[in-house]
Amino acid sequence: MAEREELISAFSAQARLLGAEVYRASSPGEARALVKEIIESTGVRRVALASSPLLASLDLIPVIEAAGAELVKGSLREQAETAEMGITAFELAVAETGTLVHDATELDTRLFSMLPLVHLALVPVRGLVANLEEALNYWLTRGEIPGYLAFVSGPSRTADIERVLTVGVHGPGRLLIVLLGEEEVCSHE
Amino acid sequence: MNELREKVKKALANRRVSWALTHFADNYVIAREKAYAGKDFATLRQKVAQIKEETIARLEELAEQFTREATRRGAVVYRAASAEEARAYIADLARAKGIETVVKSKSMATEELHLNRYLQQQGLEVVETDLGEWIIQLSGQRPSHLVMPAIHLSRQEVAEIFREKLGVEVEPDIGRMVKLARRELRKKFLGAWMGISGANLAVAETGTLVILTNEGNARLTTTLPPVHVVVVGLEKLVPRLVDIVPVLEVLPRSATAQILTSYVTLITGSVPAVDPEGNYLPQKELHIILLDNGRTRMAADPVFREALKCIRCAACLNVCPVYQQLGGTFGAVYTGGIGVILTAFFTGFEEAAQLQELCLGCQRCREYCSANIDLPGLIEELRRRVVAKKGVGPAARVALAGILPRRRLFHTFLRTAARLQAPWVKEGKLCRLPFFPELTEGRALPPLSLVPFRDRTARLPRPQSPRGKVLFFSGCLIDYVFPRIGEAVDRVLAAMGWELVHPKGQGCCGFPVWQAGLPGTFARLAQQNLAALAEIEAEAVITACPTCTVALKYLYPEVLKGDAKWAELARVLAEKVTDFSSFVWERREEILPILAPIRERITYHDSCHLKYTLRADRAPRELLLAGGAELKEMAPPELCCGFGGSFTLKFPELSRAILKRKLQAIEGSGAETVALDCPGCLWQIGSVFSGKAKHTAEILAESLKYPLAL
Repeated sequence: MAEREELISAFSAQARLLGAEVYRASSPGEARALVKEIIESTGVRRVALASSPLLASLDLIPVIEAAGAELVKGSLREQAETAEMGITAFELAVAETGTLVHDATELDTRLFSMLPLVHLALVPVRGLVANLEEALNYWLTRGEIPGYLAFVSGPSRTADIERVLTVGVHGPGRLLIVLLGEEEVCSHE
Repeated sequence: MNELREKVKKALANRRVSWALTHFADNYVIAREKAYAGKDFATLRQKVAQIKEETIARLEELAEQFTREATRRGAVVYRAASAEEARAYIADLARAKGIETVVKSKSMATEELHLNRYLQQQGLEVVETDLGEWIIQLSGQRPSHLVMPAIHLSRQEVAEIFREKLGVEVEPDIGRMVKLARRELRKKFLGAWMGISGANLAVAETGTLVILTNEGNARLTTTLPPVHVVVVGLEKLVPRLVDIVPVLEVLPRSATAQILTSYVTLITGSVPAVDPEGNYLPQKELHIILLDNGRTRMAADPVFREALKCIRCAACLNVCPVYQQLGGTFGAVYTGGIGVILTAFFTGFEEAAQLQELCLGCQRCREYCSANIDLPGLIEELRRRVVAKKGVGPAARVALAGILPRRRLFHTFLRTAARLQAPWVKEGKLCRLPFFPELTEGRALPPLSLVPFRDRTARLPRPQSPRGKVLFFSGCLIDYVFPRIGEAVDRVLAAMGWELVHPKGQGCCGFPVWQAGLPGTFARLAQQNLAALAEIEAEAVITACPTCTVALKYLYPEVLKGDAKWAELARVLAEKVTDFSSFVWERREEILPILAPIRERITYHDSCHLKYTLRADRAPRELLLAGGAELKEMAPPELCCGFGGSFTLKFPELSRAILKRKLQAIEGSGAETVALDCPGCLWQIGSVFSGKAKHTAEILAESLKYPLAL
């Protein structure tokens, strides 16, 4: 457990260095409150929510509505285009590099993490790994590598004009990360 | 040749390029060092090199495995032998599907194909989506850097390009211009039916493509359009998925001093998509073009196969003093030293034959290469092949192949020139030479000495009961331009108790000939010098010129290794060769007691051969410090002076531009004296520096408590 705490603090420090904002929730209830707060503070009105077991278990639709925002509608493309915030889940967080990793083969996960200007990423703390090699090994030991595996480190950035760092060029300009802690008991994995 | 020099002059006239590149380069070295904190670069790059070596050895096998795996996962893999085949495949695909709009994410392989121009000729709209590439595309220019294509443009110029090409008024504010780009390019992404990308790696084991970006444009390119075409060079293959880790660790650190790029995307086979009309496709089309275009030929070349290890981090460009001045002019599609080598195989030997002249041979790039490529060695080999094919040109043939190897003729020539130069010597400096006016313009070069070092040796001090005998290999510059350095070497060594002998049969070390690509002539000079040095039994061979040291110590054994008569002698002698400062520092107990405190504020100039080949840059510093000097390091510490031997004659303007930067660093240190260990650097730096420029031997000789009488 101490080791996990070290990974969490290393990840958080590195992700922040890259310009991400990192939060922690130790229970689903805390997570829901945090998501509501984040939506309110960012002031977004239109939110796209990806489908994933983790996100489904948190039952975020009422949270989004309670925060005064609405879930975007229409085709996947329309949803992604109109959303100001995309919410997606990640499987892994790499401590050394401050990187999130997810299987983004499903189109909603991919589009909602790429197109909106604000990206809210939820990742369970049990998904913390030390380095990139451990992250790759995680996928290798699970059988076939997913069709679209995405590593995300901080917001979208460019320094193409005069080497001046500017965020939000094609992807999200803000990356907010919520680390989800589990209740102690479920340690059968 | 003159055509190239004109291009160089034109590039130098654009100060903006060199300003941006030098500014970036200085920060880059520091930021990169920080990014590698806690990592062992030497080990990491060795890993990368090993992986790539396996790739090169198993190229065809890995290509087949990749094809099988990617196909199994739903991709279509096309093996393109040439640029034409690759272009035609893409154009045919677009035509067959009725596609008119294409978005691209930055890819050097497609630059190599000149794909945009070709597709546009076929009537397609092709939009680059990497911000830098897009700006370059809008302006109709050429990328000036592998990683940062628009590094040479200012924000005002970018605003002007947007105004002119998009008809949008935008302030030259970077944040606003980035927003504008996002808005404009988002429309293109959403309307495109084909996305074209490159890939940084292709994994044979899994059929996976790996793409690194910061902006996220590759993610959109590979996600939104219903057809994705990847153009990837064969050399980007790696055997196993875990092999990507060392590359992921090195590439961003070396390229942009980042721990990791914002996005790393692993695409394995076909994935779902929604087309611009909203139709959901469970399996989008993924076409992977494995591009050969000279790569198999390169892999079969015993020397140049090494260049296929390149992972395109562009570190070699960032640290190259020539590239910093010229930008994209030093190269073709691929720029810098590595660009010259790749150009020779991928796009055109003739173009590369000309461009290789621009390498000044400082060796710095080798220190930074992410894949441990001996790039200076490859450029030397290219130069030899160019010379073998086309010769060296009439002036160089007379000077290098005709005069230099004939020692007596060469020395008579130098003595005659020393007498004839009188009308152009003013106050001990050479001014306004009639043959090379650019060389003397605005600076004062040292003239040839009327009495060369070899004529002064009889009067040099000698210890009463010597500890032993050492040979001095002076080299041409010390012998004929700076005999005072030879005298200083002698005085220091004599004071330490060593008898210095200067064998008269020695001539030019041959490096200029080697550098010009004439290994045969070089071998002849090596034999002459070996014969002269072998005549006298001695404990060591001392040099005070790092370039001569490199020739004697490394190049003679190399060039003579197959020669039954000379190989052994070259090897034995090489072990005895040492540069002056290292020799003295190793025996510091013999000198420190007889040294009066050096009361000078000194900055030390690293000569390229001393630092990067001999790795002897500590010894002179230690000596000066132990002698009591106040040592002020210059920032940045490791800049080439721009001499480069014949380089300064071929490209005087470029040489001067590099020197100017060196001068700023020296002056910035606040030191009154610049110390160095190379007469070539002294020739160059001494001609413009208003303070004192001295060889380490001179500083020590001046500080001897009991100098033996001359």
